Amino acid sequence: MFEILKNKGRIEGIAKVTGKAKYSAEYALPNLAHGVIVGSTIPSGFITNINIEEAKQVPGVIDVLSYWNKPEVSTFDNPEKSKKIPAFHKYFHTTKINYSDQPVALVLADTLEDASYAATLLKIDYKTEDFNVNFHESLKDLELKPFKAERGNLEAWQNADYISENEYTIAMEVHNPMEMHATIAHWTAENKLSLYDKSQGVNGVQWNLGRFFDLPEENITVNSEFVGGGFGSGLMTWFNTVAASLGAKLIERPVKVGLTRPQMFTMVGYRPTSWQKVKIGANKDEKLLGVLHHAAHNQSKYNVYSRDLSGITSKVYAFENVKRFTGYSPLNLPIPTWMRGPGDSSGTFAVESAIDELCYKMNADPVDIRLNNIAPYSMDSGKPWSTHYLNECLERGAKEIGWDDRPNQPKQLKDGDWYTGYGVGVGLWNASRRNAGASIEMKRDGNIIVRTAMTDIGTGTGQAIVNMTHEFLGIPREKISIELGNSIHPKSVTQGGSWGLSSLSGAVDAASTALKRKLADYAWGKSEVTKLDAVILSDSGVAFINDQKKSVSYQDIFQKYNLNEIYVEEYSNAGGEEEKYAFCSSAAHFYKVKVNVVTGKVKMDRMVIVVDGGKIINPQAAANQIIGAAVGGVGMAMREKQEVDLASGRLIGSDFAGYHVTVNADVPIIEVSFINKPDYNRNPAGAKGLGEVGLLGSAPAITNAIYNAIGKRFTNLPVTPDMIV
Amino acid sequence: MKPFEFHRAINSDDVFKHISTTSKYIAGGTNLLDLMKKHIHEPNTIIDLNSALSNTIEQKNDGIFLGAMTTNTKVTENTIVNKNFPLVSKAILAGASPQIRNMATTSGNLLQRTRCPYFYDTNIPCNKRKSNSGCGALNGHQRMAGIVGTSQNCVAVHPSDFCVALAALDAEVFITKTDSTTEKIPFKDFHRLPENNPEKDNNLSDNAIITGVFIPNNNFGNTVSYVKIRERDSYAFALVSVAAALEIKDDKIKKVRLASGGVAHKPWRWFEAEKFLKNKKASRDNFIKAAELIVSKTKPLPNNTFKVTLLKGAVETALMQCLTNTSNG
Ligand SMILES: Cc1cc2nc3c(=O)[nH]c(=O)nc-3n(C[C@H](O)[C@H](O)[C@H](O)COP(=O)(O)OP(=O)(O)OC[C@H]3O[C@@H](n4cnc5c(N)ncnc54)[C@H](O)[C@@H]3O)c2cc1C
Ligand code: SF4
Repeated sequence: MFEILKNKGRIEGIAKVTGKAKYSAEYALPNLAHGVIVGSTIPSGFITNINIEEAKQVPGVIDVLSYWNKPEVSTFDNPEKSKKIPAFHKYFHTTKINYSDQPVALVLADTLEDASYAATLLKIDYKTEDFNVNFHESLKDLELKPFKAERGNLEAWQNADYISENEYTIAMEVHNPMEMHATIAHWTAENKLSLYDKSQGVNGVQWNLGRFFDLPEENITVNSEFVGGGFGSGLMTWFNTVAASLGAKLIERPVKVGLTRPQMFTMVGYRPTSWQKVKIGANKDEKLLGVLHHAAHNQSKYNVYSRDLSGITSKVYAFENVKRFTGYSPLNLPIPTWMRGPGDSSGTFAVESAIDELCYKMNADPVDIRLNNIAPYSMDSGKPWSTHYLNECLERGAKEIGWDDRPNQPKQLKDGDWYTGYGVGVGLWNASRRNAGASIEMKRDGNIIVRTAMTDIGTGTGQAIVNMTHEFLGIPREKISIELGNSIHPKSVTQGGSWGLSSLSGAVDAASTALKRKLADYAWGKSEVTKLDAVILSDSGVAFINDQKKSVSYQDIFQKYNLNEIYVEEYSNAGGEEEKYAFCSSAAHFYKVKVNVVTGKVKMDRMVIVVDGGKIINPQAAANQIIGAAVGGVGMAMREKQEVDLASGRLIGSDFAGYHVTVNADVPIIEVSFINKPDYNRNPAGAKGLGEVGLLGSAPAITNAIYNAIGKRFTNLPVTPDMIV
Repeated sequence: MKPFEFHRAINSDDVFKHISTTSKYIAGGTNLLDLMKKHIHEPNTIIDLNSALSNTIEQKNDGIFLGAMTTNTKVTENTIVNKNFPLVSKAILAGASPQIRNMATTSGNLLQRTRCPYFYDTNIPCNKRKSNSGCGALNGHQRMAGIVGTSQNCVAVHPSDFCVALAALDAEVFITKTDSTTEKIPFKDFHRLPENNPEKDNNLSDNAIITGVFIPNNNFGNTVSYVKIRERDSYAFALVSVAAALEIKDDKIKKVRLASGGVAHKPWRWFEAEKFLKNKKASRDNFIKAAELIVSKTKPLPNNTFKVTLLKGAVETALMQCLTNTSNG
């Protein structure tokens, strides 16, 4: 069992808080040039000319990269290969403009200041075309298509005792991790590219750039050792990476391209605007019978992202009848992408709100109805859940928040202009596992280095590796160091989708076992030891549990075999368990709000979240994940909304002053606890991912609590003060 | 941003030596630097006022004088301010973030520019940024726009919280002009309405400098309140705000001040409502009537009618809070 690591912090913590941690933009390469991306000012049309004369007068300006002087890339000579490159990597290979702030040029200069200033001096001519940025208008002409096979049928519940139906919308939410995306590109040889790139997956960047430049992956190295937050913005390889690489090729110098905060709003994806209509029915015995879910979200004309918001609808509850329709509106807007709890968090808002609404109609308790209707097995696949403790999450959460104090009807708890209300929402996410690799190198003194290409995007992956390695091998934590987030290390899946730790634990376990095997063979003869579980590594040597006599020191092993180091490298992936089981993580959010009906202020009074994420490897990091996600949920419910100006097609107020991210002052101390029961079917650590479930269910818990307080049902997010009064 | 020269002036004469049509003063820089990064101001010369002007707070017989370079934080930490002018601290603390308040100055706060989102995007027409180019907000998003005193040319509001308190407390702005003459402008006349020339935010003459702000003594004590409705609890500008101050004697309101932010191109005083409340009982009923009177004077835009409801609630709440603040303190 993993010991609880209270207040032990993180292996990279000191480096981060002392500024020693180097983020992608912070590498000082000799002769580094700076590139500033210039975006289009129109949302649709063509660039007809770029006049760079004035910009070139600025001292320090080296060149301006655009459609007109992009360096030759052999990929583009081959129609087959060129076709495979996504349009959003080809902005310098087209004159077509599909959204405002689409990159049209890269100004290259000796300093960032020179490049930024020169960027304002480009004279760009456009031929404009009609555009559409109005998602809600576009719905009128949008034809929704059936999503997945229907379960049961609609007729079966058309006469249900209770039915509720509503429409839901969620505003566009933009990605704003603390670290802005940045790339340094350096061609170390004619065909060799070295990148420092803010990314959630170095191997993905390697693959994308390999495809772009028609180079084998091994010719490209990608370093993302420290990542200042991802949340999904770093899953794709964005244009800043392509632009820096092309810029570096053009001027034959290393080039750094960092996005500005306003560019973060248009160049690294966002959660698209969505619309949903949900109808659900239940019978008198509080059994949920069926659900009809329509959903749509906006896309970009560069249509690379679609996510079915109703995917979650068939998973959480035992609806015997599920019917879904889905659609996407391609608009002249930047490209949306995955954002924490992609798709499901939007769908969850609608379904969890609908259930709440139904509860008031039928006078049912929102906790009871959930407890009584949790899907007993995965109704999508028919397989049993490997482990699933949502019921315990609900029971514990209800107790902790004091659910018994919740009035059954709204507007009961009043103090002056303030009303108090309680709400619940649940979140569920596939606990998946993917391919990951890890190596271990042991030195003569017994110190080991564990390496993987997987990134740590603030999730605490690094400390988790230390904890797991210590657990698997027995080596004290002080003797374990890590290196990650670099493509020179064993290949791993991108960090995201709550699968990072789950995937990596398999690789670390496999590498640990391989190391034990090697040491056992060295110590006691080849294949002499069959029960590797009984082998443990101490700080000085390898031993057999309960049999100290046989222990052999590392010193002796290294000496005897004349070794400099012992190296093992292993890869692992999900296996046969997926044939047998379905896997999920889940959470129950219990919130208490105070609502002022005169000023429209909503105060989060208490936030209690109980999570089933399997075994908790590092409680601090896990709680940190949930807290951050829940704050994101508060933002979704009450603040985050990127406005689009319909006249110009441009985002407006797109900076930290205009776009309101939730801050500490807006939330109470968030009370997180874990069920902490291992799921060893999933992986050797027993951990299920928990990056998403902190956000899923958070927003509806808030609007449900607001309803309980003041009797107003909010179905359009965010709920701002003006909507309350 | 565009390259510029930088002068650290040592006194007001030195300040005026460096002025030109393309120069700009800098105090805390919290607004100016953003404006420069967004290419709204592109000065060739920047003149730093920090060493040239007073950064002290002086108690006078008839009030208090805040030097132009006093930081917002310094003002909120001053014991005399907190004792005699608590409304000022309340308003300042409702604004921005600690980091910004540590840098932002008294004069800079008065002269900060609007937060109309269209003003900040040089690719969208804006009369305030460029005369006669049009107004992006007129038919656009109007959450941050005004509900009184707007014009067809501009519907923007002055974003300050501090200034709302200063307007309520009848402060005066002390000014030195480029010919070295001085003048005092009553706070209510300092900022202006957009009318036909929204590019001008206030009545300060070209390149004149603000040397400080004077606030006269009052008898409001702690019977004051600042209510700010905004989309998050820190680091967000007001949708609407209300500064209220009451002097109550023998159960009657002797004196009252009511001012608002987020509603007009200038910090807005509600004189009629003040008149209505005078000599009335400090009761919720009367406060509601005052609030109703106030909102009856507003003219919201098509997309910000909600501000009227919020304003009404804010006025009522602010006046009620005055009463609880007295009892608390
Ligand atoms: C994200 C954000 C949120 C904010 N939120 C709020 C809020 O909620 N409420 C609020 O009230 N404010 C808010 N502010 C604004 C902040 O209060 C102002 O930026 C600040 O007060 C400006 O003061 P400064 O000294 O930094 O001015 P500067 O940026 O240095 O100057 C502003 C202007 O004043 C001129 N100037 C300065 N001093 C003088 C002088 N003595 N004589 C003549 N001209 C002068 C400068 O030339 C410049 O044009 C916020 C700011 C930001 C960036
Ligand atoms: S309201 Fe004023 S500041 Fe805003 S766009 Fe119109 S003119 Fe410009």
